[in-house]
Amino acid sequence: MGVMRIGHINVKVMDMAAALQHYEKVLGMKTVHTDADGNAYLKCWDEWDKYSLILTETDQAGLNHVAYKVEKETDLDELQQRIEASGTATEMLPEGTMPFTGRLLKFNLPSGHEMRLYATKECVGTDVGSTNPDPWPDDIKGAGVHWLDHCLLMCELNPAAGINKVAESTDFMMNVLDFNMAERVMVGPNGDIPAATWLFRTSTPHDIAFVGGERMGLHHFAFFLNDWSAILKSADVMAKNKVKIDVAPTRHGITRGETIYFFDPSGNRNETFAGLGYMAQPDRPVITWTEDQLWRGIFFHSGEESGSFTTAYT
Amino acid sequence: MFGIPTHSIAIPATGEHFSCKDHEALLAAMVKLGRRGIPVGCLNGGCGVCKVRVLKGSVVATGPISRAHVSQEEADANITLACRTAPTSDLELEILGKMKKSFLAQCSKP
Ligand code: FES
Ligand SMILES: [Fe+2]
Repeated sequence: MGVMRIGHINVKVMDMAAALQHYEKVLGMKTVHTDADGNAYLKCWDEWDKYSLILTETDQAGLNHVAYKVEKETDLDELQQRIEASGTATEMLPEGTMPFTGRLLKFNLPSGHEMRLYATKECVGTDVGSTNPDPWPDDIKGAGVHWLDHCLLMCELNPAAGINKVAESTDFMMNVLDFNMAERVMVGPNGDIPAATWLFRTSTPHDIAFVGGERMGLHHFAFFLNDWSAILKSADVMAKNKVKIDVAPTRHGITRGETIYFFDPSGNRNETFAGLGYMAQPDRPVITWTEDQLWRGIFFHSGEESGSFTTAYT
Repeated sequence: MFGIPTHSIAIPATGEHFSCKDHEALLAAMVKLGRRGIPVGCLNGGCGVCKVRVLKGSVVATGPISRAHVSQEEADANITLACRTAPTSDLELEILGKMKKSFLAQCSKP
């Protein structure tokens, strides 16, 4: 009932050939479709629906939209009413608007990011199938990422001006779309300003995260790997392909994930993310990170800001 | 000395400078030398933090730059992204991409 998981992300790239090389050879995704407008649709080997990444070539980088899959078609009608009732305008895009995909409920989060919900997408199965499957397929390229795992959206945060789109978008996701909170960062003199949140509908600590910044944008989208050794191998793959690594392999305190941040050829930040963290449940106590331990939460080993985490995003 | 000509890249406002090979991207050259002066982000033309104005000298583009961060008018006024720009002569640069520290980046700093 309701939202199940992240379904796909549509990102802008400035050089399609370079982007395809990156997502196919470095991440190990496969291109499954190219539409009449030249958008490329890609899939990870362990996903069963037709695609999870759409690349759109244009004159800039960044997010077009992120979509979450709901369980039933009737959920779309129910959620449309709830979203409208919350004061947010929606549009129901008819089946066929996106290939292999049913109706899409389109709206903007309070932060301004476009989100879509859908219930139906062509199921093609994982690359190992569903009958007596092998644990992994023989034709894995590069990092061999399993699935699109989550995204982190930067939201405008300016407490002096009374703007906190992290708080507004978090409230929307929790109150209207029934997301649960796993972790949060609270800052300010009284520790009462939500500066970042991690929310889930699956049983892992986050399916979406919001972090405060000076403007809205796409901070990163992440792909799942099993464990630390897979993370280290993905770093080897990045080095072999001269990929710009933003933050070398480390662990997040928040979500307990093992991680690498790196950039695609248009400057969109990717993450390979390993580990299921802990069992996220609606009744599990919310974890709070305080301002003085914020960077320990983000990069557990160093406890310091690394790379261009808060400054560079698309 | 044989090889590729090297150019001197100066940032007059701060006195910082580094050297960059002909047709090598400015930001990559600076990072490789461990020098500072231009804010560093994605190195791939998407995030806009490395925005500069070329005050003196001639440059060539090394790849696409995001229109979200450099408008056509700005491009016409010699504004570009240092990660996608290579020198063909000595250069003087003005830094425009202010590494404005976000609210979060200021947290937990003494
Ligand atoms: S470093 Fe991101 S645009 Fe140059
Ligand atoms: Fe992440």
